[in-house]
Amino acid sequence: MITSNKRPASLAISRWVSRSKAAHREIVIGWLFALPALLMYAVFVLLPFVLSIRYSFYRWNGIGDMTWAGIDNYRTILEVPSLLGTISNAFRLVVYFSFIPVTLGLVVASVMQRVAPGRLGATARTVLFLPQVIPLVAAGIIWGWLLALPGLINQILKLVGFESYTRAWLGDFDWALPAVGLIGIWVLLGFCTVLLWTGMTRLDPALYESARIDGASWFTEFIKITVPLLKHEIGVCVTVTVIAALAAFDIVYVSTAGGPGNSTAVPGIQIYILAFTQQRIGLASALAVMLMVMVLVVVLPIQRLSRETAQ
Amino acid sequence: MTIARSELWGGRALLIGLMTITILPFISIFMTALHPSGTVPGGLDWPSDPQWGNFVEAFKVAEMPALLASSTFIVLAVVPISLAISTMAGFAIGHLRIPGSRMLLFLFVFGLTLPFGGIIVPLYYLERDMGIYNTRLAIVLPLIGLYMPFAVFWMRAHFVNMPTEISEAARVDGATTWGLFWRIHLPLARAPMLSLGILMAVWTWNQFLIALVLVEDPTQRTMAGALGAFQGHYATDVPLLCAGTILIVLPTLVLFILFQRQMISALLQGSVKG
Amino acid sequence: MIMFKKRKLISTATMLAVLLIAAQMPFVAVQAPAVMAQSEQPSCGTEPVTLNAYFETGFDIPFELADEFTNQYPNVTWDIKQDQFANLINSTPRLLSGDNPPDLIRLPTMVSFAEQGLLMNLDDYAAAFGWDEWPVPQLNQNRVGEDGTRGSGSLYAMGLNYSLTGIYYNKEQAAQIGMTEPPATLAEFEDLLAAAKDADLLPIMQWGSAKSGMGLAFPLQALMASVGPVDPINDWIFQKADATIDTESNLVAAEHLQQWIENGYFPPDINAIEYTDANARFGQGEGVFMFNGDWQNASYDTDMPGNVGFFLMPPAEAGGSPAAMSAPLTYGIAANAENPDCAAFFFNWVASNDVAREINVTIGGSNPGGPSGLEMPAVTEGSVINETLAAGVVVGEAGTSMDFIANATSAIFAQGWTPELQKMVGGRQDAAGLLEAVQAEYELELAE
Repeated sequence: MITSNKRPASLAISRWVSRSKAAHREIVIGWLFALPALLMYAVFVLLPFVLSIRYSFYRWNGIGDMTWAGIDNYRTILEVPSLLGTISNAFRLVVYFSFIPVTLGLVVASVMQRVAPGRLGATARTVLFLPQVIPLVAAGIIWGWLLALPGLINQILKLVGFESYTRAWLGDFDWALPAVGLIGIWVLLGFCTVLLWTGMTRLDPALYESARIDGASWFTEFIKITVPLLKHEIGVCVTVTVIAALAAFDIVYVSTAGGPGNSTAVPGIQIYILAFTQQRIGLASALAVMLMVMVLVVVLPIQRLSRETAQ
Repeated sequence: MTIARSELWGGRALLIGLMTITILPFISIFMTALHPSGTVPGGLDWPSDPQWGNFVEAFKVAEMPALLASSTFIVLAVVPISLAISTMAGFAIGHLRIPGSRMLLFLFVFGLTLPFGGIIVPLYYLERDMGIYNTRLAIVLPLIGLYMPFAVFWMRAHFVNMPTEISEAARVDGATTWGLFWRIHLPLARAPMLSLGILMAVWTWNQFLIALVLVEDPTQRTMAGALGAFQGHYATDVPLLCAGTILIVLPTLVLFILFQRQMISALLQGSVKG
Repeated sequence: MIMFKKRKLISTATMLAVLLIAAQMPFVAVQAPAVMAQSEQPSCGTEPVTLNAYFETGFDIPFELADEFTNQYPNVTWDIKQDQFANLINSTPRLLSGDNPPDLIRLPTMVSFAEQGLLMNLDDYAAAFGWDEWPVPQLNQNRVGEDGTRGSGSLYAMGLNYSLTGIYYNKEQAAQIGMTEPPATLAEFEDLLAAAKDADLLPIMQWGSAKSGMGLAFPLQALMASVGPVDPINDWIFQKADATIDTESNLVAAEHLQQWIENGYFPPDINAIEYTDANARFGQGEGVFMFNGDWQNASYDTDMPGNVGFFLMPPAEAGGSPAAMSAPLTYGIAANAENPDCAAFFFNWVASNDVAREINVTIGGSNPGGPSGLEMPAVTEGSVINETLAAGVVVGEAGTSMDFIANATSAIFAQGWTPELQKMVGGRQDAAGLLEAVQAEYELELAE
């Protein structure tokens, strides 16, 4: 991903000075290419990011004056269970949104590669990718209906004789979060599968050929060849899904709205309520900063692990 | 090629099982949508008298024409601009390797990790100050900014793998940087651009939080943003809600079915090599 | 999302206090508005006017009233935007302080907006139209004092109607468990609940999903008023100094509710039931009783014609007065609205025009309020509306109406009542803990 080949600044400056005029012009033109993207990104992402940090140290209702609050907002988040709980809920969601889709995606993609090179594989990729293209809000509504007491899931359970297990999944303290997680798996599995399978098709078939001549089983092939060579794709998958988990909003908003009893409340929902219902902009921003730090803390090591070797 | 029979069939069974699980929810809401309005049908009962009129009714009450127009406008504004500027930036970072490109790339990659929810609050106040709050621009501009990290990263991944010989040959023939980009590299970048464009179109269409916070009028929002309001109105009427949901997801599904070959093959060629 | 409805009530005590203060200090009015003659009354004029309005999705009443208003005043057209209540709660501060502030907006909460100067002060209009002379203490619920407490001070909103909550019942099933007339005491009501449970009927249908807000707040508040006094509850809602919800009598009420939950009187999936689902299921015969408000009358009549009845929550002591949550459907005018005169004229028209009042009663199911001496519109025989209107008179005479405990602060419902009551359903919270947790959240919010 990013090569960690650090050049000391002094060296860079001396190189800049020693360049010819033509080279300078090239550099300016090159930067002009990058400028529009950088500008949009700076104004609509980096600036709000900096403002979030700033707001988080103030008490502000969004309309009146801002008063300095120091680290009070952060302290409040750590002290109030319903706020702190959002963070642990987010990490529990990671298991469902990230760990399961990536692992399952790897298995499915390698199975696809081995046993379904033709039409079946193509159909499977299309079908598995479908949930990825509908709005998450729709996924929430669809599953809200499937997971309701008269819904499909309980119908199936009754059919196979597990009547005692039927419940209103999204209203159950023990099951609401896993149920939300299930929606996440349904949405993200196809994305991971297709991305990983794409990566696999890039790998040199000779590798697999020789492994198969040696009589390697699917599992050996998987562990020895597929996973190590797909480090980068796996990294991308994990990153995307972890962010989807930690920053979840849409699915939770329409399926449970954080209930029952805050058991599915995630930072995104709580930021929204704090900022726009309660007008506690400082507190909402502090939670937003914590969310962003959380994502960085989780994602950076993943990036490090999956970093490409210098080409 | 020696694959055991058991593995072959086991693998196929797994794929077919997963496909069934993926597709079942769609079938369930489709069947539910055909039941008489106001009833609470089971999850998978084919109605004795399919009520196709539910779709017409849902089309009316969901204000579909206005929603389609609004969403289309937003997509047509976001995608081309995002594609153009991210391709240029990806070219500068990945191929020209301008000085500071490592730092630039790092800056963009940092954005990959920023959740929308983390910046939505200041974005709201920022847009109020800019005077674009509650217009469609309020959705368009931040989305372009928010897509930049992924888009630049994606395009850079393509350009970084372009052999430098191509450019060197063109340079010898006296091509300017712009000419190099426009005539040689852009045609070669079609595949990753196409898949990126489709991805961004789908993401935009499905955008919820930004629409919810930055635009008050549901008919000026994206499809997904309006679905919430629709749900509030018809939660009692499960068949009608299902019909409305199907109508709202239909455009993206059709787009995907139509472009799936390009999308999946584009994903193939433009696969992220970082 | 009804339960969020900002329905402000005034208790007799508060009203008396207001009257006393007014009597003692006749020269210190908050803002003495100049009384205008009839001819100078604000109106919509004759020029074309477009009223910019925000209504709540899922309730027909304001839309019907708007249509009829344009019928009678063709120069007035409407630009109505609607959204779900949850979204409306979130957007109100933004809308009021935005570039195109609404002429009419459904107000989920009021105090903070009044304090921030985002809402139009309606005192002058009240004087011009003579709203102050209306009989029911209709206006005081929408007054905000300079100290930020509600119940007295300047007027910042008007009710499109005045609704009432209580207990609806399925007549067939009630007869099945031997209920010949509505219970007179809490004990009698609890006997009926037990009888329903024994007869394998669902005793109470109620909603509880966080998406709608927790419907158990309705029975809880009814129990509070049944076993204890009403005034402390209103004081708490109006944010009077040192008010607390964590009182001894409220603890008794919460213990009753916890007992009901443990006895299985509510549907097992209550934490996943949305407001609209609960009503649909009650209409289909699931549930002997349901705690709700008269805004639901028309659809109950449609779902179960002739089979739905209504009574007020009975008192714990025999011979006591029944109490009820009852409040205006509150709408306000933005401080910088373009057409405040026309919006105020609309308020006046809703309460005094015959057709508007009829729409309010037949579709809204609620008392339209308005000046004294106006006839109540006639209602269909056998409609449950007759029962709610009659019950409204009882509560009005007893002076035992309350605002809704979910309206104490802008977030007490989403962050306090809803999660804690859901925990109670899940067996993770008891009566004492519930009140303690909600009071802590209340103090936390007021301290901000």
